[in-house]
Amino acid sequence: MAKSNLLSRFAANTYWLGRYLERAENLARILDTNETYARDTSGGANWQRVLDLYSDSARFHDSYDTPDAESVLNFYILDGDNPTSIISAVSRARENARAVRHLISTEMWVQLNAFHYRLSHLTRRDIWLTNIAQACAGIRLDCQTFEGVAEGTFFRGETWCFYQLGKYIERADQTTRVLDMGYDQLHGEDGDAVAAVNRDVLLRSVSGYHAFRSRYPSATTPQDIAIFMLYDEQFPRAVTLCVNYVTARLQDLEKRHGGIREIDLEKSRKSLVFCLETGLGHRVTSRRLHKFLDDLQIALGQVSDAVGKAYFG
Amino acid sequence: MSKTPRSTTQCDSLLAGYDAGEYFCEMFGRRGLSHTRAVRDRLNGLDIATLRRRAREAENELFNLGITFTVYTEDKAIDRVLPFDVIPRILSTKDWQTIETGVKQRVAALNLFLYDIYHKQQVLKDGIIPEELVTGNPDFRPEMRGFDPPQGTYVHVCGTDIVRDDKGNLRVLEDNARIPSGVSYVIENRHLMMRAFSDLAQGMPIANVDEYGSRLAKALSDVAPAGVSDPTVALLSPGVFNSAYFEHVFLAREMGAPLVEGRDLVVENDKVYMRTTDGLEPVHVIYRRIDDDFLDPETFNPDSLLGVPGLFRAYRKGNVTLANAIGTGVADDKAVYAYMPRIIKYYLDEDPILANVDTNICREPDGLAKTLDHLDELVTKPVGEAGGYGVVVGPRASKRELNTLRRKLKNDPANFISQPMIKLSVSPTLIGRALEPRHVDLRPFALTGKSTWVLPGGLTRVALKRGSLVVNSSQGGGSKDTWVLG
Repeated sequence: MAKSNLLSRFAANTYWLGRYLERAENLARILDTNETYARDTSGGANWQRVLDLYSDSARFHDSYDTPDAESVLNFYILDGDNPTSIISAVSRARENARAVRHLISTEMWVQLNAFHYRLSHLTRRDIWLTNIAQACAGIRLDCQTFEGVAEGTFFRGETWCFYQLGKYIERADQTTRVLDMGYDQLHGEDGDAVAAVNRDVLLRSVSGYHAFRSRYPSATTPQDIAIFMLYDEQFPRAVTLCVNYVTARLQDLEKRHGGIREIDLEKSRKSLVFCLETGLGHRVTSRRLHKFLDDLQIALGQVSDAVGKAYFG
Repeated sequence: MSKTPRSTTQCDSLLAGYDAGEYFCEMFGRRGLSHTRAVRDRLNGLDIATLRRRAREAENELFNLGITFTVYTEDKAIDRVLPFDVIPRILSTKDWQTIETGVKQRVAALNLFLYDIYHKQQVLKDGIIPEELVTGNPDFRPEMRGFDPPQGTYVHVCGTDIVRDDKGNLRVLEDNARIPSGVSYVIENRHLMMRAFSDLAQGMPIANVDEYGSRLAKALSDVAPAGVSDPTVALLSPGVFNSAYFEHVFLAREMGAPLVEGRDLVVENDKVYMRTTDGLEPVHVIYRRIDDDFLDPETFNPDSLLGVPGLFRAYRKGNVTLANAIGTGVADDKAVYAYMPRIIKYYLDEDPILANVDTNICREPDGLAKTLDHLDELVTKPVGEAGGYGVVVGPRASKRELNTLRRKLKNDPANFISQPMIKLSVSPTLIGRALEPRHVDLRPFALTGKSTWVLPGGLTRVALKRGSLVVNSSQGGGSKDTWVLG
């Protein structure tokens, strides 16, 4: 029996498996983080901020009234009718995994299946403000467990390349969003306790607190944090690191398929790298940063579209 | 106090209360079968609580592994586990040899019969079987006439449903020559059993079932189009919404073959290709798990979205092999079944190794009269239904059900056959806190490329409802691991 190439549809399935799980993990991080910020301020406005981050405000108001903690958390965690909720992301990840079950390891499938089962049995009580940290930690742990299982069992073939592409494109996108949401709360006069707490919280939300501390023992300016989250090549959620992985996997695929087949894909990858390296400039201001993060998100989206056009048929 | 009396008590509680009644028991036979003694002894070493705990763990594992079939209700899809019973069904080597040779004989006859009816139709001319039953059958595909499938094989994968009557005789209940399913459970059940009850199986000479995937790949490679030395084999599935999707995944994995859907395939110049990340790639053999009707909207059901336009043309030209071949449904028809002993004799000049169940063909006046006279004693089956639907068990049917059936029979006699009620054998099965007798059947799987190979054992289905004779998963059936013990 002959060995055959990967079906286009399965390439798409594994790509989206990677994206949806990364999305679920980051959404859990953002909700958890936002809950911590909300403790010190007036409440309502901060939950609106999450909706703005994903441009979900209009859809939210179709089914809910005020964007308070309870409604927004429900909208983003348990609401299966909301396509951007964690339960939707994990359900879609599972459907994609089901389609490629013969190409992923049994352990990956079992973990995802069990994760989905746990998630679909969460109740509104589990996501009350007093329980939300625990619920989000559980979701993160399940995503990370999946990732660990994949690391240890997923055959490093073409399928894996697409899984990695999906994961790192999504992770880069999500890091830009977390930074986008948190950056303006980092500013304050010296000794401003709230700003200091916010800096720690933002770093912790990307599991970067200790890494940042050892990297910059004395510095804590908002600019330093932004540079760290964007450019530190040793920080696993840094955009640069993610983009390096994306480049490496695209090169693997090119090698496999004999040279650069898709001019558009290579073009979009180059403009992403260009944007990342030159787009921010030397003096980081709030306005410039938000504009830069938007540009990065657009460039990532273009790479994603080009991957689809080149390989998903 | 010594410990001995205690273990005797446990022993008593597990199998002592068990009574198979008037039925033949797969574990005890009539007088206690010698080949099951070792297993019985070991079972007696377990207590009911342990057995229940392990059964629960096994069921959880099935769920976690996603070994489920999907039931669709109005607005949602529910994943169900095919219930698994932890007490194995054990076949002696002698019984297995009978089954294996009997199945091979039947598959050989089925393939010769199909070749004949799609070519010279000698069997019809010689009056062995009524012509109308074959050429008038909705599953007879005139498009297949004059077509020579590689190796003369039509039925590459066959599932033969076998039961044992109250005398202990093995009989064939039906042939499944279209798309028999269930083999994935045979292998998964074994894995599950080895994990949950390794102590029960330790050191026992149980025939291995792990070869199935490589045997299937080999059989399918055997039937590649002429001139293709290293064929690409693909498994064609209707997709994730099909209730047997788990099995499609399982088999694709075991073979290392791509699992494709209709939308992944395209026919150009009467050749079949699949869409890959490297562009179009030729496909030579398709193990299809889609019914004839839905395979090619150009030739068969034009509304089918599952199939591949032009597939049949490519097939007829010999550029791709389909397994099973198109048009095999006419051979496993419940009415044609009645003629199988004569078909075997006709082509092979041998007596059937495995007997049929006596069958009245209601399209024949004699058969109809007999059926109507003994409706309350017979099992009456519509010939065109699968999955146990529409079966009426005379002795257990109400007056009203029988009257309805009588009307249907008179309106459309050709749609029915009837058979005496077989007192299916039973096997001890964990029900609540005890082992109780439940009826079982057996579906061995035969693979045919150049030659035929039968997977040792097969799928044992068990009717979990007390007294029920219907083992189908859609009707409350479960399954057991099946051991061929040397």
